[in-house]
Amino acid sequence: MARFVIIFLLVLVSLFTIEMQIPVQQKLIEPFTGLLAALSAGLILPFDDSVRAFGKILQFGDTGFAVSIEAGCNGVEATIVLIAAVLAFPASWRDRLIAIVLGFLAVQVMNIVRIVSLFYLGDWNLEVFSWVHLYLWPALIMLDVLIVFIVYLRYLARKSPPADNVAGPGGQHATA
Amino acid sequence: MPLPERNHLRQFLLFVFVLLIPCFAVWTVLSARLATPVIGLCNIILSHWFPDIVNVVYQQGADALLMTHFDQVDGLLVPAAEGDAGLGFRLNTRILSYSIPFYAALHFATEKEDYLASFCWGLLWLYTGFLMGLLCLSLKELMVTLGNVFLDQPGVLVPGADAIGIAYQLNILIVPTLGPALIWAWQSRDTPLLRGFIPAQTGSVDA
Repeated sequence: MARFVIIFLLVLVSLFTIEMQIPVQQKLIEPFTGLLAALSAGLILPFDDSVRAFGKILQFGDTGFAVSIEAGCNGVEATIVLIAAVLAFPASWRDRLIAIVLGFLAVQVMNIVRIVSLFYLGDWNLEVFSWVHLYLWPALIMLDVLIVFIVYLRYLARKSPPADNVAGPGGQHATA
Repeated sequence: MPLPERNHLRQFLLFVFVLLIPCFAVWTVLSARLATPVIGLCNIILSHWFPDIVNVVYQQGADALLMTHFDQVDGLLVPAAEGDAGLGFRLNTRILSYSIPFYAALHFATEKEDYLASFCWGLLWLYTGFLMGLLCLSLKELMVTLGNVFLDQPGVLVPGADAIGIAYQLNILIVPTLGPALIWAWQSRDTPLLRGFIPAQTGSVDA
């Protein structure tokens, strides 16, 4: 467990520091955030003709309420946490790659649900929007990451079933 | 009779979603009281660390108000006049303390033998993160508003701008959600929920 925590924190801080670099933001994060906005708009527009989309902004034509999807709203941080956890846990590189790709998709699906829900909540009540945006949804996104990781651990455990005495991530921990 | 492995996960997921809303509701009501010790500690630390910059940090509802010894006149920073409150910032402590209801939901949704003592230990760790977060939030506000007046204080150890930026991002974007998950995972490592998922041959796979 200690080995897992050390590798996890090292990978997490490294990836996060890389993500914060201005060239990475400009060339990778911002275009990705724009793509998310376009995807969200693409999902809403066929069902709601009162909605307009301009780049990374979604707006209601009748009320004028708009949201701008910014860096920090794109699920990248949650994905970094998932990547760090998957890389820190001993497994084959194939399993890790599958977990990262599927986990990334799970986080992004949840994030699009988050963007769409916040857009409608904000049009209804700004106070509720702020509460859900700032406090509830970040917890739900992290819960999503946690569930993906537990499902991944379950998949690994099924591939190599645990013995009666189970070894932990460094082979140091045993429980009855 | 113990639950089968699959049911532990189902039970955990069900309980987390059931507990999440009441935990957040209770936290919303108590968030000002929960922030009081952290704001008090933040006041002691910042007013001793930057005595020429920080006047006081005090509480207003769930917000912390950080008052400086400066004023802004025509866009220029000037020392605040005697008796003047000075330039201040409002810091929302809830963007840090929501880690508490999230942790509570995870903790109480997990089947374990001891709930209360481990919950108190978890809270202690969360409060450490809460204090770090509020300090980072304060440093970032001071850096952005006061610029070199804050960064170039003679005889005072001030972290670099990059370090403040990264610490702020980590403590605001990641720690409030990751902290509870890590504490929960550590405390639950021997519970039926997680014990069954750890592979037996962890030493033999390529890392």
